[in-house]
Amino acid sequence: MLRVNLDNKRKARLTLQRTVGLAMLLLGLITLLLAIVYSSSIPAFIGLGLTFWGIILLYIQTEEYTKNTILDATATSLLTTLNQTIQELDYKGKAVYLPPKYLNDPEATKAYIPRLRTGKLPPPEQTQKLEAQASPRNAQGMLLTPPGAELTRLFEKTLGTTFTQMNLDDLQQTLPKLLIEDLELATDLEIQQTSSTVSKPVDPTITQVEIKHDKIHVQITSSAYADTCKTAQQLPTIHANIGCPLTSAIACAIAKTTGKPTILDTQQTSEDGQTTETDYRILEEEPAWT
Amino acid sequence: MDLTFPLSFWDISLLLAITAIILLVTSELLSPYYGKTSLKINKKRLRNAAMTTSILFLTTVAIRITTIILNP
Repeated sequence: MLRVNLDNKRKARLTLQRTVGLAMLLLGLITLLLAIVYSSSIPAFIGLGLTFWGIILLYIQTEEYTKNTILDATATSLLTTLNQTIQELDYKGKAVYLPPKYLNDPEATKAYIPRLRTGKLPPPEQTQKLEAQASPRNAQGMLLTPPGAELTRLFEKTLGTTFTQMNLDDLQQTLPKLLIEDLELATDLEIQQTSSTVSKPVDPTITQVEIKHDKIHVQITSSAYADTCKTAQQLPTIHANIGCPLTSAIACAIAKTTGKPTILDTQQTSEDGQTTETDYRILEEEPAWT
Repeated sequence: MDLTFPLSFWDISLLLAITAIILLVTSELLSPYYGKTSLKINKKRLRNAAMTTSILFLTTVAIRITTIILNP
């Protein structure tokens, strides 16, 4: 009933806008005709102006928007339910966002949560078997659809391509434009690739230092999910683990782009909740993370 | 009855210039890069309209320049 009422209101608003546009266009054309008949320049200016603005009003339509408060109200309860479910099933490991080769369906996006904190990511064959099961969980871990899975699909649909066909440089170029200009999900987005050093002792006197470009720092300002992310800080399996919808969607995109498992390393939200800084870590094929 | 259009080519060019400026400034001010992410307007279409009007105005300028060059 409510849906029908909203649809009717929207249709009425669109009809009003179209009516005003059409009226301006018709009035403009009539004034132009009169200007030609009476050879008068003032009605000609008025007529041209009305015709231009009539066409513009007909062309520029309004878009469908949902209030931010509604978005937060729906997303927060879903995240709370997800948090409770994972806690009750007693899966304590860090969520790993899987690239397509770990799944049967390359278009799907899944995250793997090990049962233990020290649990390791199984090889692709095992995750594929797990995905094929009716209940995708076993004694070692579980597969779940992350909160940002559908958002990632929307990103791909809007871009007209898939993240698997991109590299990290492409992602750095396209993601800010996509989130700011096309989807208007944030007012600013910065993606930086950072490096970490790994020290390996070669012999008792020499230590080999290896530089790995395996970290991605993402800073999001004034995100539409700012309040949801702030609320998610209270949820231990969501905050800096699975992530809130937007951080989760970016993790999915990174996993698909790099073709490597990705985890949300750290996540910080400013006091006003407007800026979210997230560090993602790209894992090696056989991770030794704890 | 003499049915002639009362505006000259330059009058239309001026009208196009004014419309283009209004649309370009509006489009820029409503850009999501300035934090305007909650306006219920199709900004892509607004930008397209602004660009089209600007191109039309620039075409009139190009026509004028060509006329000056060809008929000094």
